[in-house]
Amino acid sequence: MIVFAIGGTRYAAELRWVREVITLGFVTEIPTAPPGLVGAFNLRGTIVPVLDLPSLLGGTHPATPRQGDGALLLEADHAIAALRVDTIDEVGTLNAGPGVGTVIDGRGRMVAVVDPPALVRRAAAAAWAVRGIPAPADDTDEPMEGWPGAAPEPPDVPELPGGDGHG
Amino acid sequence: MVDDGPPGDEGGADFAADELESLRQFFRDEAHEALEIVTARALAAGSGTLTAEAVTEMMRVTHTLKGSAGTVGLHGVVDLAHRLESALAPLRVGSVAWSPAIADRIVEIADGMRTHVDAVDAEQAGLLAERVRVQIAELAKAGRDGDAVPRAVDPIDSGSRPRRSTDSMVVTDESDPGRTSMSMKVPAADQTTSHDGRVLRVDAERVDALLAAAGELLFDRTRIERRVQQLRTLARDLGRTRQTLRDDVSRLRGASTDGARISLEDHLRGVENHLAEQSTQLAQATSALLDDTEALRRTIASLQAGLTRVRMQTARFLFTQLARSVRAAARAAGTRVELRTTGEGTEFDKAVAEQITDPLIQILRNAVVHGIEPTEERLRRGKPAVGTITLSARQESSLVVIEVTDDGRGIDTSRLRAKFVDDGKWTEARARLASDADVLTALFDPGVSSRDEADEMSGRGIGLDLVRETIARLGGEITVTSLAGRGTTFLLRLPVSTAVSMSLLFKVGGQVYAIPNVHVESTALVDADATSLQVRGELVPVLALPHVLATATAPPAAADRRTALVLGYAGKTLAVTVDKVIGPREIVVRPLGPLLSPLPLYAGATVSASGKVQLILDVAHLARLAHPGAATGDEPAPTTLEPRRVAGRALVVDDSRAIREALTTMLAREGWIVDVAEDGSHAWQMAQQLRYDLVVSDLEMPRMTGFELIQRLRDDTQLAATPVIVITSRTSPENRRRARDLGVRTMISKPVTRRKLLDALAPR
Repeated sequence: MIVFAIGGTRYAAELRWVREVITLGFVTEIPTAPPGLVGAFNLRGTIVPVLDLPSLLGGTHPATPRQGDGALLLEADHAIAALRVDTIDEVGTLNAGPGVGTVIDGRGRMVAVVDPPALVRRAAAAAWAVRGIPAPADDTDEPMEGWPGAAPEPPDVPELPGGDGHG
Repeated sequence: MVDDGPPGDEGGADFAADELESLRQFFRDEAHEALEIVTARALAAGSGTLTAEAVTEMMRVTHTLKGSAGTVGLHGVVDLAHRLESALAPLRVGSVAWSPAIADRIVEIADGMRTHVDAVDAEQAGLLAERVRVQIAELAKAGRDGDAVPRAVDPIDSGSRPRRSTDSMVVTDESDPGRTSMSMKVPAADQTTSHDGRVLRVDAERVDALLAAAGELLFDRTRIERRVQQLRTLARDLGRTRQTLRDDVSRLRGASTDGARISLEDHLRGVENHLAEQSTQLAQATSALLDDTEALRRTIASLQAGLTRVRMQTARFLFTQLARSVRAAARAAGTRVELRTTGEGTEFDKAVAEQITDPLIQILRNAVVHGIEPTEERLRRGKPAVGTITLSARQESSLVVIEVTDDGRGIDTSRLRAKFVDDGKWTEARARLASDADVLTALFDPGVSSRDEADEMSGRGIGLDLVRETIARLGGEITVTSLAGRGTTFLLRLPVSTAVSMSLLFKVGGQVYAIPNVHVESTALVDADATSLQVRGELVPVLALPHVLATATAPPAAADRRTALVLGYAGKTLAVTVDKVIGPREIVVRPLGPLLSPLPLYAGATVSASGKVQLILDVAHLARLAHPGAATGDEPAPTTLEPRRVAGRALVVDDSRAIREALTTMLAREGWIVDVAEDGSHAWQMAQQLRYDLVVSDLEMPRMTGFELIQRLRDDTQLAATPVIVITSRTSPENRRRARDLGVRTMISKPVTRRKLLDALAPR
């Protein structure tokens, strides 16, 4: 687990989703992006979106990320994204807390656990909503109707058409 | 020593200024080619021997250069080429012994001439030319001092007119190399030192693939034209129906009797039927048109892929350039180095090759200057006196891997640690905890240089931070490993090709954005609040990008007048206002990734020289914003909004290419992976190799008919259950019965429509 703080609130996430702890490069703003997607920066040639956790959790207006801010480079759900953080408090094995989705940190405090794959999916869904299209459904093992030998194909994101409706 | 003066000045004055400018561009390319050959020949001979063929080749390209320089009126170049040609002659007749010193001199001269050609209109051109003249004089003097100098020999028929560079793709005429004075020609035997500078040497097979795709394009065009014709007819019919309707309405007003009304009602019902029919036809035609455009899209994609392959070049040319740099660096540093290269045949995009040249030169210089120890030190360490640098290229899936290894002293990581601490870059604790790999990675950080041992050579190059930045911008990465006392290896992983686009960069709200140049028609100045603009007598909508791209931190700035970019997309014209135009740039397009690519406004991004992300706007979306409600042509049918599913693998069998195409498109649209066969026997072969979930077959085909094919399928225990749909123009009862007996799922009569196919595919 890695414990970090954003805007005075502490969160924990499983380390396996965190590829690296990085310092943000110059962050380019992305007009028309949903509130959770607060910019993009260049990480060794890859365009990496910057996520704002409080807005993704339905909170208030996002903080503007700046060059030099700390971030967790998340890799989940076939996507790479940087989660801006204020501080990183600790890294270690933590015990489960009393509530669902909580852990107890080194100083005995209860911390909410965030799920990076869910965050990434939420950000993607918000981006698709800008296009006026519901996000592609998650992969399921449900048999698909159709004929014959139909099998589900993972949603091919770039292939999806852009509707001109702005729902 | 020269008895025939430079050729006449007939050239130059024959052309208008702009013509001359473009001719000179051609000439510059050609000159680079020619000088590259001279350099390559000199380097190839190196410390060995120079063959008579090699000298002849050098003289020939120099001679051609002289001729073309005269044509474009560059008499300075004519003079230099003439002198060089004469100075080379003694080498050819063997009156002067070849030596590495002469090789170096020739390389210097070629470099100098290249610089002169590039700067031919600049002030220093004269000075540069003078320097080259001195160098050539020295070369000639070396020749004279060697032995008796024969009179300058001109092996080439001076009467032949210089050729234009547009002849450059001419096929090598090996039968008479002396007469074909083309700088681009390389006799087959000399291919090892190829020169693929501005001229692309392309495999015939690749050109064939392109031609095939182009043929396909023609085919697609014909189909679309036919479809348009069909739509035009429909539009005319609709116009007639409307006229009838209008007549009926006015007659209805005048109708006084019930009888008249009833007859009109009947007539109107007829009109309605007519309309229903026409609307069905319209739906069919548009759906067919969509299929056609889908086919067109695929053709264009294959054309693009083909062109990418054409742009591929081997590493050989890059390696030749790098070999020259190593030589120069070794000479300047007084180091004895041997450069070994492997994998010259590895292919990658010309654009990639061009962009990694400077980074590689820097890495190689570092190896020569900092890596390889002085001879005494090497001997003391028990190493061979001459240092070795290995340069290798190989392909690994979609990546090209380039490795630069030296057998020098390696990078002293403990010294680097101390230096990082001294420079205040790292704390003592960090330096202690960092692994050797961390320390080596930090070499690429901005501001880190091994300047304590820097010299003139390395100071001139670009820093390692820029090396990494350049490679990252191409979508590649670089790593370094080093063994103290044993040597250092730099490993570059690069994409085989890169998407480079010429784009117009502009600023809005303090950020830089890009739009591909192909969509930009012109610029204009408009009022900040203008909503439309006259372009070629037509009123086009103006979209205020400062408002579209406004963010909380960057609200639109106030302005009276703004620059508008006039854009064209899919036959629509629109204008967008921006804060400031920066200008056209060649940019490397990077994908946005799964989180950002759903945003409709952006087509991609690029990374600026300073490492900032710049967004590329999607002109299709801008056109939609500016022309709300208008279909912009690239809109896929709304029925495909759901994520695609793979329905299965289908085999389409028909001897008509048009029908194969049509069926492929329709099936692919329903999520089928489609293979095609042009007759029954071909299909039978394919069916034996791969299990198909569906076979769609014509009946009458050469070699093996559809019925024979189905019979074979049914007779095979493994394939017997394959669902089959038959397409035929002969739906006779006899055929129907036979099809039913063979377990054919459905029989579709030609022409095949999407509707009929969907019905046939529907689950039962």
